[in-house]
Amino acid sequence: MATETLILPDHPAAVAPLRQKLGHDDWIMRGAVVALGLWLIITVLLPLWALLSKSFQAADGRFVGLANFQAYFASPALADSIWHSVWVSLLSTVICVLLAFVYAYGLTRTCMPGRGLFRIIAQIPILAPSLLPAISLVYLFGNQGLVKWMLFGASIYGPIGIVMGEVFWTFPHALIIITTALAISDARLYEAAEALRASPRRTFWTVTLPGARYGLISAVFVVFTLVITDFGVPKVIGGKFNVLATDIYKQVVGQQNFQIGAVVGLLLLLPAALAFVVDQLMQRRQLALLSARAVPYAPRPDATIDRAMLAICSLIAFAILVILGVSFFASIATFWPYNLTPSFKNFDFDMMDGGGWRSYFNSLVMAGLTALFGTAVIFTGAYLVEKTPRFRAVRGFVQFLALLPLAVPGLVLGLGYIFFFNNPANPLNFIYGTMAILVICTISHFYSVSHLTAVTALKQIDQEFETVSASLRVPFWRTFMRVTLPVCLPAVLDIAMYLFVNAMTTVSAVVFIYAPHTTLAAIAVLNMDDAGDVAPAAAMAMVVFATAAVTRAIYMLLTQGYLARAQMWRKR
Amino acid sequence: MDSMPTTEPYLRIRNLSKKFGAFTALDTVDLDIMPGEFVSFLGPSGCGKTTLLRAISGLDVQTAGSIHQGGRDISTLPVAKRDFGIVFQSYALFPNLTIKDNVAYGLVSAGTPRIEIDKRVKELLELVGLPEQAGKYPAQLSGGQQQRVALARALALSPGLLLLDEPLSALDARVRARLRGEIRDLQQRLQLTTIMVTHDQEEALTMSDRIVVMSNGRIEQVGTPDEIYGRPATAFVADFVGKMNFLEGRLVTSKRADVRGAVLDFSEEVPLAEGAAVTVCLRPEDVVVRDIGEHSHNRLSVQVGVMEFIGNHFATTLHASGTGLNFSADFSINAVRDLGISSGATIEVALPPKRLRVFAQSRSATA
Repeated sequence: MATETLILPDHPAAVAPLRQKLGHDDWIMRGAVVALGLWLIITVLLPLWALLSKSFQAADGRFVGLANFQAYFASPALADSIWHSVWVSLLSTVICVLLAFVYAYGLTRTCMPGRGLFRIIAQIPILAPSLLPAISLVYLFGNQGLVKWMLFGASIYGPIGIVMGEVFWTFPHALIIITTALAISDARLYEAAEALRASPRRTFWTVTLPGARYGLISAVFVVFTLVITDFGVPKVIGGKFNVLATDIYKQVVGQQNFQIGAVVGLLLLLPAALAFVVDQLMQRRQLALLSARAVPYAPRPDATIDRAMLAICSLIAFAILVILGVSFFASIATFWPYNLTPSFKNFDFDMMDGGGWRSYFNSLVMAGLTALFGTAVIFTGAYLVEKTPRFRAVRGFVQFLALLPLAVPGLVLGLGYIFFFNNPANPLNFIYGTMAILVICTISHFYSVSHLTAVTALKQIDQEFETVSASLRVPFWRTFMRVTLPVCLPAVLDIAMYLFVNAMTTVSAVVFIYAPHTTLAAIAVLNMDDAGDVAPAAAMAMVVFATAAVTRAIYMLLTQGYLARAQMWRKR
Repeated sequence: MDSMPTTEPYLRIRNLSKKFGAFTALDTVDLDIMPGEFVSFLGPSGCGKTTLLRAISGLDVQTAGSIHQGGRDISTLPVAKRDFGIVFQSYALFPNLTIKDNVAYGLVSAGTPRIEIDKRVKELLELVGLPEQAGKYPAQLSGGQQQRVALARALALSPGLLLLDEPLSALDARVRARLRGEIRDLQQRLQLTTIMVTHDQEEALTMSDRIVVMSNGRIEQVGTPDEIYGRPATAFVADFVGKMNFLEGRLVTSKRADVRGAVLDFSEEVPLAEGAAVTVCLRPEDVVVRDIGEHSHNRLSVQVGVMEFIGNHFATTLHASGTGLNFSADFSINAVRDLGISSGATIEVALPPKRLRVFAQSRSATA
């Protein structure tokens, strides 16, 4: 470079950059982003803060530093549950991820028959509360279990039952992640390996596995977090085997010891937060693996592999169906296994503890409201965070708040809600014990995944719609309603369904904040099982499952039928 | 229209700078655009042309400097308070609305009565040559048709300024060539002040009244296509627009240089000291082979190198006998035929002094 000819000695460096005047749209959008930020602060951040501060306080609210933590670790029974939680979660994770990998491999990399059916069967566990597999396992391997002999004298009540139940319940979560990782691989790598005469085994170890490694790591962390923070399975089948999640419940609901509950909650926050960070990193790398020019891999038939995979996948699918089937038959039999005459006696929920049919209708209302308001808030929120011009710092913070719930286990969130909303000094105290708090808590609990779905959809549409509208002097909300929302309708329905199904099946967050008149179906399962009414508990779990399954089916019909017609414009 | 030439520019840009952190995307740019003018911003990616367009549209307001449009200071106005229509490379047509609804989009919000909207949409679709397509959806149209719909939509509110952001880049070559003419024609009929950002010199040369060539956030040259191509103001412009020989030499007098042993005259005086290092620029197509007798200056005896057949001409490299000078030249097919030029032959050529551009070599960072 030639030397600078123009050097201004005392350049007035302090001249402030020009600031654009704010238009109508800017004011409204910024106001809405701030409102969303406040909403998330109240429904996510402050409850977490309440939990955090509670763990450093004595029962009377004095600051006691780490005294609660010392008390916790000093109690051998409580400290034991950390170890229990860790090894049970590790074992469940290893088994679940291995099975999911094999299953996903069969689905994406082979030509085995019935892949569509296998895909559907694998989704079954997502539609049921985590209590359902535990109840089925009790029927199978419990004291009066059908096939108790298969355990060779070992007891299902304890780690064995927990691991089996958790593997069932987390299987679809691992499967989705690993299937995605295996599906986005580059066929050209396989062609290159073949051209270089690599053996199939070598290709598997040098191409397939490395290609899916980020998905596998991500699945490991997600499953581990789900298991260590799950409360349904150990509650039903854990017996005297204490884990962190049941400890929280016992400390808080049983002994009203909120301080120790808060300590355990913080301990559970650690693996979840770690999993969150790792997952974010892995997803970024996984996407980077796939270049724009990659050619999708199309498996070729191979009789040996296809048959072997069919056998293994059938076995896994069979296990899933058996677990679902046991609950189903237990619920429609008069007194299983002794009197197998079909009856609806077990569905007479009004005669049992747990809130009766009212719990179910509460759940429907709660799930409906969650889907309705949750979808509206989350999609609009994602739009604002994505499309508000400039305003970077605030948007970044709101984005962080929107992703935060992903790192917070339901139990921890629920606990935070008690501490925050049950505080008489809180002006929002009035919503405690209402349906509203259940809806708000559930929206917050499942906020992040829905937010990410919305953001992905918004990123896929043309980034210049807003500019064009502004140049045509059309207010942003008009374009949002007329263009953005209709174009993103599939994603919007996706979010609504996700929220509905999860609101139907969730136990972990709401178990702390329901009131006698707002009991929910999944909680009724828990309470009936607790009271020894196992068959009715199974029946209620089946009702929840059926509701979720029907919703899902309606959703599929909608997306394939009506949506296809309403979205004619997508066709060429 | 008034036949009196307006001297007041429609768009007046003064001292415009844009910084992204430590990076200067626009460096004190001054520019006047006259009413009804078609101006192209041309340059390689990262030269600041898009930044300048985004400042004019208000999408990314400048760090310092002012913009006046039609006498109004729009420097810091929000997008919606400005007066322009815009067409993007992606068209950004609303996929779920029909062509008619796309074009009518701004009119509906402006509260125009329905009958008038229908009339205006019809008018606009006729203007862009798509009267039959009103009921279709964007995905049912070809790329070129979509581009024209985007144009109609941008024109719906009769804006004072039309901004085109790489409007033809997504189209294939044939459609692009046709649309170039159509857009230019439309712009002239409407007498609409238009700014187009492009990295395609052919597009800029064929469509514009004036071209603004930019590099590194600065304006290198503003001029008519003829001036930009024929009289590039800087070595950068010479290099960026068209093909160019860059011949390094030393100044002998203010109108003569020694280029690797060949002495070349040029008609423009170079305000540099004798012996200064200069770059002499010569377009390959300016090498004359016919009627050599009429040329008294810069006649060279050259050896013809490999002849490359390009289709409508031959490209070749010439070596000036007795010197170290090599340069490329383009010969028309019929000149090659008539004069029997072939590889290895020795022929006589002339380099017209008027067509040579000479620059000081200080910017030789590119060499």
